[in-house]
Amino acid sequence: MKFPWQRKQEDLRQELQSHLQMEASDRIERGEIAEHAQQAARREFGNVALVEQVTRDQWPWRWLDEFLQDLRYATRMLGKNPGFTLVAVLTLALGIGANTAIFGVVNAVLLRPLPFKQPSRLMMLFEGIPKLGFSKMGFSAPDFMVFVRAQKSFESVGAYQNKYFNISGDREPERLMAARVSSSVFPMLGAEPMLGRTFTSGEDAPGQNVVILSYGLWQSRFGSDPGIIGRSLELNRTPYTVIGVMPKAFNFPLRGPQGSEPAELWVPMAFTATELEGWGTNYMNGVLARLRPGLAFEQASAEAESLSHSIGSNYPPELTKAFQGAELKVGMNSYHEEVVKSVRTLLLILMAAVVLVLLIACVNVATLLVSRAGSRQKEVALRTTLGATRVRLLRQMLTESLLLALIGGSLGLAFASWVKTYLLSLVPESVPLPHDIPTDGSVIVFVLAASFVTTVLCGLVPAFQVSAMALHGPLQEGGRSGTPGRLRHRLQGFFVTVEFALALVLLIGSGLLIRSFAKLVETDPGFRPDHVLTLKIPIASERYTQAPKVRQFYEQLLDRTGNIPGVKAVGLTSDLPLNGCGTIAIQIEGGGNAGGETPQAICQTWQVGNYFQTLGIPLRKGRYFTLEDRIDAQPVAIVSETAGRQFWPGQDPIGKRIRWGVYSPWQTIVGIVGDVNDEPLGHPAQLHVYRPYLQMADLFFEDSRFGEVRSMNLAVRSQTDPASLTSAVIGQIHSLDPDLTVAHIRTMAQVISSSVAGPRFNTLLLGVFAAVALFLAAIGIYGVMAYATTQQTQEIGIRLALGAQPRNVLYLVLRRGVRLAGVGAAFGVAAALALTRLMAGLLYDVSATDPVTFSFVVILLLAIALLACYVPARRAMRVDPIVALRYE
Amino acid sequence: MAPRYQNRIELLQGTLDLLILQTLQWGPQHGYGISQHIRANSGEILQVDTGSLYPALHRLERQKWISADWKLSENKQRVRVYRLTATGKKQLLSERSRWEQLSDAIAGVLSPAKREGQA
Repeated sequence: MKFPWQRKQEDLRQELQSHLQMEASDRIERGEIAEHAQQAARREFGNVALVEQVTRDQWPWRWLDEFLQDLRYATRMLGKNPGFTLVAVLTLALGIGANTAIFGVVNAVLLRPLPFKQPSRLMMLFEGIPKLGFSKMGFSAPDFMVFVRAQKSFESVGAYQNKYFNISGDREPERLMAARVSSSVFPMLGAEPMLGRTFTSGEDAPGQNVVILSYGLWQSRFGSDPGIIGRSLELNRTPYTVIGVMPKAFNFPLRGPQGSEPAELWVPMAFTATELEGWGTNYMNGVLARLRPGLAFEQASAEAESLSHSIGSNYPPELTKAFQGAELKVGMNSYHEEVVKSVRTLLLILMAAVVLVLLIACVNVATLLVSRAGSRQKEVALRTTLGATRVRLLRQMLTESLLLALIGGSLGLAFASWVKTYLLSLVPESVPLPHDIPTDGSVIVFVLAASFVTTVLCGLVPAFQVSAMALHGPLQEGGRSGTPGRLRHRLQGFFVTVEFALALVLLIGSGLLIRSFAKLVETDPGFRPDHVLTLKIPIASERYTQAPKVRQFYEQLLDRTGNIPGVKAVGLTSDLPLNGCGTIAIQIEGGGNAGGETPQAICQTWQVGNYFQTLGIPLRKGRYFTLEDRIDAQPVAIVSETAGRQFWPGQDPIGKRIRWGVYSPWQTIVGIVGDVNDEPLGHPAQLHVYRPYLQMADLFFEDSRFGEVRSMNLAVRSQTDPASLTSAVIGQIHSLDPDLTVAHIRTMAQVISSSVAGPRFNTLLLGVFAAVALFLAAIGIYGVMAYATTQQTQEIGIRLALGAQPRNVLYLVLRRGVRLAGVGAAFGVAAALALTRLMAGLLYDVSATDPVTFSFVVILLLAIALLACYVPARRAMRVDPIVALRYE
Repeated sequence: MAPRYQNRIELLQGTLDLLILQTLQWGPQHGYGISQHIRANSGEILQVDTGSLYPALHRLERQKWISADWKLSENKQRVRVYRLTATGKKQLLSERSRWEQLSDAIAGVLSPAKREGQA
């Protein structure tokens, strides 16, 4: 098949040929001999090929034609060097693939607007009590109602709250993540149901049990039943009517802000009467609002802040007194910002890391191209003689790089979708990243852009080098010692230096994370995590309505599990360490030295049985709780070491009294225990007050505003492997209540491990990219040194023949390699010093310029450089002088 | 490096275009014919270089001032024949008047006395 431009080319050739023939026949007519006439015509005409070329230059789409020519030629050239092509393409595929994978995540999470109507106008509101150290909390129900009535900046405001539901009915029961939402939330987000309807404002009042299903739940549990609307299902053993199904793409609440998780079903927020009276409690509601059209962020933010006071003035007087000096403050931020802020640093650092990997890959390919350019001198000379211009040669060389980059890019795209899936499957629960990100058009655009950038990065220098050969003219291309050879030598050295600098930056980054992670894991959590099994016992409020029944259940449970053979100690706690805990404000009797009248924020948990002994939390002074600390005995509490020191500096806390706001009687401190990490490892220890669960007032069990007080965590210390006790423990639980579903069965070692899952994920990812970078850099320096040594074979032969010792030769080769690596390392250290401070937020107990990491990485890199040079150096050392002198 | 034609084309550009358009006014002609015609009518003074002629022809064709067809010549040879288009005719008129202005102006500069004498 002939392409139009090929035809056109032949036409031109014929046109010029006819010109020659007509001139010749004219000359013959004028009496010249045929032979002379032909020659004269040709002389008159000039260089046919050149006339052809300058004429072609006038054609439209000329560049495309030439580009296709170059492309054909490039394909042939790459096909002739399958080894080179394979290495270059794989290197680029690795670089582009890694970039594409990370870009896919960055694009979906950071760059793309949230999947709601006019997402930039969606705001998140929060309350805070800065004086107590609470910078951002949700809204309490009564505060939310005051805010909704008073505000003028938002066209709509809505609250949501995650909540677990046990779904039962026609199929086996399941525990599902759900969300309570105000009726205004779905319209505010612009979310339309796929089937049925969303909530009406009438459903904001309690008592209307309606539910909206997510697409996923509708599919998996209800077999995509189109007639689902109006059907009934059981949530927490209460019937609910299905009124709607949301489309597949709808996802709410978005993971991130205030621990929100995507829900599988939604029920109306419908605050209960007790919730609406819960002043000063349960700051648990996420609040979303949509800015009025035309209103600027700052104006709305200022108004929201100004409403802090009117919220505070609605508080009951006794509470205002207790909270004296600790005012509420309302704040606002864009919803998008709240969703992405916790992962932004990580993603940007990963993006930077993969860009470095791609740069290293480019440098590697550039090095290969430069080395190969040496063998193309003859080809270049020929093309120049035939009239190829320098620009044309440059374009030809760039076309070859482009072809490499495009093949690498398409391989990279396939590689990227695999990497992305794998990477997202590793995302731990604690890192708010989506678990599934579809590849979209922008990723394809990115791959193309990355391929072009790659082309320029890795092709430009070698292309200039080749086109520079054209300047020297065809006949000057003599021995290897010519100028292009020296240029090549210098270019390669430059590339190796750059590569080492880049790899060093990446290695230092990941080195810092590894060191920080090691320190994190070594931190003392304040308890002994070995040989401890934990289980969550979510007992249902429907069955255990009365407080005495709950207390009785747990006392029996302690008794029975304590008697299992192999169990050393058992205890119950409302919250396990490392999982966060409910923070309250307490008053200190007599003000204490630290507090004055101002309440103090402290983390509060409830215990029964030998909890401290089970977890190995050391007693510093006084006593642990006993089963005698009951509801009818004197109210007592145990505080953590730091809390004791802070509240009563220089005094003995034992015998002092505290109380929780206005909701409890004064409690006497009976013991002081060691500090325990309530937050995941790496966070500073919090102040902590422990309370006997058996002293929890009946009110707590009757009033839902105090949350799920029935559900406790059982901790069991074993003599042998704690996991081996699991079935015996569950057996005992079921012997008390066969309907209980036990959740979160984990050993304490697993709890620790999952508390550092986020940092481990960061470390792993950056570590992988650093390893890839190191590998590429090592290949790069090996390639250059091996090539340079081959080129020097003659010189080495002469040296050996003149009496040089093999180790002199070894030294000669190693010296160059180490010098290049050393210069690269110096630049790398400078760059790393400037860049690593950006990741300070991800580091624990390690400075961003940690000298240990820096020196270790530099030594590691130099050692690898030495190794990479050693192989070619040894080969050089063994050169046979006779063979070497004959070389070429 | 080989000398380039590019410069010479640039020097001649406007003039060569005019000469080609003018030649084609007398009827369709092929490249060789055009070069012979210019040469003969300039008293053998203007020798059009093929490296300028063909690029110019192809450029004028692209600008749609001339069009080209394949024809059989008298000695049964396939030749590419150019003809003036309607827009080409207009272009010729404007180029001619520009050329006349230019040559008058140059003539005026070269022999001011004569010009004054006329006035």
